[in-house]
Amino acid sequence: MSDDAADVQRVLAGDVDAYAALVDRYYDRCARFAIRMLGNRDDAEDALQATFLRAYKALNRYQERDRFSAWLYRILVNQCRSIAARRAHRDKVFVREEALLLNAPDRAVVWTGEDEEFVQRVLSELDPLLREAFLLKYIEELSYEEMSALTGVGVSALKMRVKRACDRLRERWERIKND
Amino acid sequence: MTDSERHPYVELIAREARRPVQTDPAARARIMTAVRAEALPRSRSSIWERVIAPRSWTLSPMAGSLLAAGLVGIGVLAGALTANRGGRPSVDRATLGAVRPPVSDTIVKFVIVAPNAGKVSLVGDFNDWDETRSPMLRAEKDGLWSVTMPLSAGRHLYAYVVDGAWRTDPSAPVIDDGFGHRNSVKLVAKGSTL
Amino acid sequence: MVPRSLGVAALVAFAIGAAPLAAQYADPYAAALARLDANSRFAIELVMDSARTVGLSDTTLRSRVLEGVQKHASASRIVESVRRKFAFLRTARTMLGQVSNEELDAASAVLEAGAKPAQLQSFKTRQKGREALEAFTIWADLITRGVPGEEASSAITKLWQDGADDATFHSLWNNVQADISQGLNPGAALQNRIRETPQRTVTPASKPPEGQEIQSSR
Repeated sequence: MSDDAADVQRVLAGDVDAYAALVDRYYDRCARFAIRMLGNRDDAEDALQATFLRAYKALNRYQERDRFSAWLYRILVNQCRSIAARRAHRDKVFVREEALLLNAPDRAVVWTGEDEEFVQRVLSELDPLLREAFLLKYIEELSYEEMSALTGVGVSALKMRVKRACDRLRERWERIKND
Repeated sequence: MTDSERHPYVELIAREARRPVQTDPAARARIMTAVRAEALPRSRSSIWERVIAPRSWTLSPMAGSLLAAGLVGIGVLAGALTANRGGRPSVDRATLGAVRPPVSDTIVKFVIVAPNAGKVSLVGDFNDWDETRSPMLRAEKDGLWSVTMPLSAGRHLYAYVVDGAWRTDPSAPVIDDGFGHRNSVKLVAKGSTL
Repeated sequence: MVPRSLGVAALVAFAIGAAPLAAQYADPYAAALARLDANSRFAIELVMDSARTVGLSDTTLRSRVLEGVQKHASASRIVESVRRKFAFLRTARTMLGQVSNEELDAASAVLEAGAKPAQLQSFKTRQKGREALEAFTIWADLITRGVPGEEASSAITKLWQDGADDATFHSLWNNVQADISQGLNPGAALQNRIRETPQRTVTPASKPPEGQEIQSSR
């Protein structure tokens, strides 16, 4: 039995503190996805709180033969989607800021990529569905089958989304490069 | 992978995005606080464990009177029992797998004419569509099969399983079941007696 | 019938033994899910999560999973059915606003039968306490029995706007379905019976002014 399954068993047997082990194991990784997906820490924290609470309440539905991370991520992806839907206006804010940045005299920030904010701005330019697919593929490094199980979207549709996300990024590079 | 996906800029973004983020330990603590305020998630221990282990069972007043009146179907009774697991909250409706009839339910009699049938049962959203839960009983002569069921006020979907075949109630409104067939609809008015 | 002399524990054992879905799981819904492959389970749970997120009850959706499993539908069919039902519930809520879960279920069935979302518009604003449960139930039934969607929708909507009560809807349905089962064309059956239905069963406050002719329904 994996650590995850063992901890789940403990919680179901009444040991609430065993849940802290699961939170510790997955929080940072989930936080990375949520922040990249939602573009700001406040929204990300809301998504994470909701995710871990929902996961706790639904623990008796977790099947041991499934990977706990996949099961947890399904909840996380869904929480991020609903929070993003409720706060759609923020994406527009990012795009405007990005335009200012592109026109700024000092371009060093745009090139180095050392800046977390820079990555957020770039990701925020992507349509949420494309962003989600890109993150699941390249940051979470899931297979298309795993992504499909997580999101309920077909494999070919997901491949298309990842490809389009990469196309957009490439186009962005072309634009920046030629300025 | 296509050319787009191997593009150095794309790889740069992916690499940057993969960097770990710094998180606030207080946020995790807030999660555990919220979790502790919740009821324990229900365990999936087997029904047989619960039956065999020494426990005290109590009949809800409703089930008691139904049993006395000879009106109850098997499925109803199973749902009417609660187990006291010494210190733990008593098993709730979902865990036992059947609805515990509250006092405000209406007793509804379901009837179908099936003179040639060998076995008829009632299935619906009130018994998880399980044909073993509410078998119907045949009246001596006229081919009438019936069963009574306590139902909450509102809308219920149901069907009859007649010798293995799912049939709608000829005397009730129908709807699509979402699987290419049909179900019947029973509307139970608030405070009605049938 | 269960003999009264049986002990309670024996009763429980008999009852539990008669329910195959409960063999391993306390919760029949969990047992039903367990019969599906991992991908389908995830897809379904995603829909459940979405429903809860937007404040829709997942009771109807869970029931559909249980029904699908009991009907031996394929996993993909069950997933598709749950997704469609969720979509219809969400649309019904968008069109009707805050109504009871039962009304949402019934309205989603009307949509599932083939009515257009816009046709629910008339049911949004209503007198306090007035429920459209009977109206929606009859509406879905008529379409399912073969009455053309537009005709059913306009007939039901007109009755509703005229203030028809549950008994009026129910008696209309009774007559129409009797006619259909005797071989009458469903659309024609509805038209016939609509003509017989009392017009304008409204409260005094909304009666037409003196002298204005009551229009007959089509």
